[in-house]
Amino acid sequence: MARIVIDPITRIEGHLRIECEVEGGKVANAWSSGQMWRGIENIVKGRDAREVWLFTQRICGV
Amino acid sequence: MKNKDFKAFSTLVGGVSRRDFLKYCTIMASSMGLPLGAGAQMAEAVVNPKRPPVIWLSAQECTGCTESLLRATHPTLEHLILDLISLDYHETLSTPSGKQAEEARAASIKENKGKFILVVDGAIPVKDNGIYCMIAGKTVLDILKETAKDALAVIAIGSCSSWGGVPSADPNPTGATPVHKVLADAGIKTPVVNIPGCPPNPYNFLSTVLYFVTFKKLPELDDKARPVFAYGRLIHENCERRPHFDAGRFATEFGDDNHRKGYCLYKLGCKGPETFNNCPALLFGDTGAGTWPVGCGHPCFGCSEQEVGFHKPLFSKASLHLVTPPDTYPHTAEAQGKGATITGVAVAAAAAGAAFAAVNKIAGKLGDDDKKK
Repeated sequence: MARIVIDPITRIEGHLRIECEVEGGKVANAWSSGQMWRGIENIVKGRDAREVWLFTQRICGV
Repeated sequence: MKNKDFKAFSTLVGGVSRRDFLKYCTIMASSMGLPLGAGAQMAEAVVNPKRPPVIWLSAQECTGCTESLLRATHPTLEHLILDLISLDYHETLSTPSGKQAEEARAASIKENKGKFILVVDGAIPVKDNGIYCMIAGKTVLDILKETAKDALAVIAIGSCSSWGGVPSADPNPTGATPVHKVLADAGIKTPVVNIPGCPPNPYNFLSTVLYFVTFKKLPELDDKARPVFAYGRLIHENCERRPHFDAGRFATEFGDDNHRKGYCLYKLGCKGPETFNNCPALLFGDTGAGTWPVGCGHPCFGCSEQEVGFHKPLFSKASLHLVTPPDTYPHTAEAQGKGATITGVAVAAAAAGAAFAAVNKIAGKLGDDDKKK
């Protein structure tokens, strides 16, 4: 069984990694994972609700 | 720049006319306060096929910086960026993925050792050995260190790579660190320029790159490694609402009468008085007059200033320690005739005294009247 890893996936926003297992010419199993974490969930916890948009809006700039 | 030299370049950047291109370079030069003729020099350097390549590393970012660059116009800037600065590696814009993309980066570093410009967007997570941002199985922390040491200069684009930005906001869960600090801690001496902003104005970035390509040195930087041509003045100093601030006319609530009249946003938490940037002069997004946050009626939140954007509460009032209080009206005409004499002063003082007494008397009378009632 062959394992193919494509990292980084380009032409998208963010850091994406795809791994797949190939069996007899067919993809038997595959995984995708985001390779970057900023913890915005933790940053907005307990913050003044009126300024949370400043952070969540910047999850993705595309 | 001869017409003949330009032809090949024009085809490369998608049929830009020579006139438009020179105009664009002149705008860049003048926005940096460079002398007349610098624009032509810049144009010359850009057309030169030996211009330095650019490697672009993305760390903890949202791609907003790249997006704002791609939205710039004058003339079809996506061509200028992609072809003019010979972008050898960019995760969002590279055609190859995975191994091929990484190989392109490695090849460019090897071939252009000591000659390429490294652009970094996004903060560098250092907590837990940097595992919060990985590219091709390596931490971006390691990739930055190994790439930066071979670069001619590093340009940190955006507030994340300049100061830590969004991911470094309290409690900074991933140890997000600015590029200059990572490099200093690793003992890497490649010069770093910060172009902060969330996102920064694309012209501040492009002007810096063009300046570097043309004059083979970095533009003048301030004590926080920001180009002085862009970050030399407070937003407050050039703000179109400044006269309202000086006159004490403030919006106190979103949508109130004063807000509708376009009064100063200081009391709504505008951080213009402590943020250095050229937003009021350059505006944003090439969408016409008045398009920048304050122009649209929202207070500046200091996105480009260290320890202000994403660190100070959005609606708390800005510190005014950097602002010079407004003067009274300046003298617009010199006083005529003789200077004041002692007698003159005495007469004036007597008159003022008499007037003061008269006012007091009136006030007293009024007081008496009030008592009677």
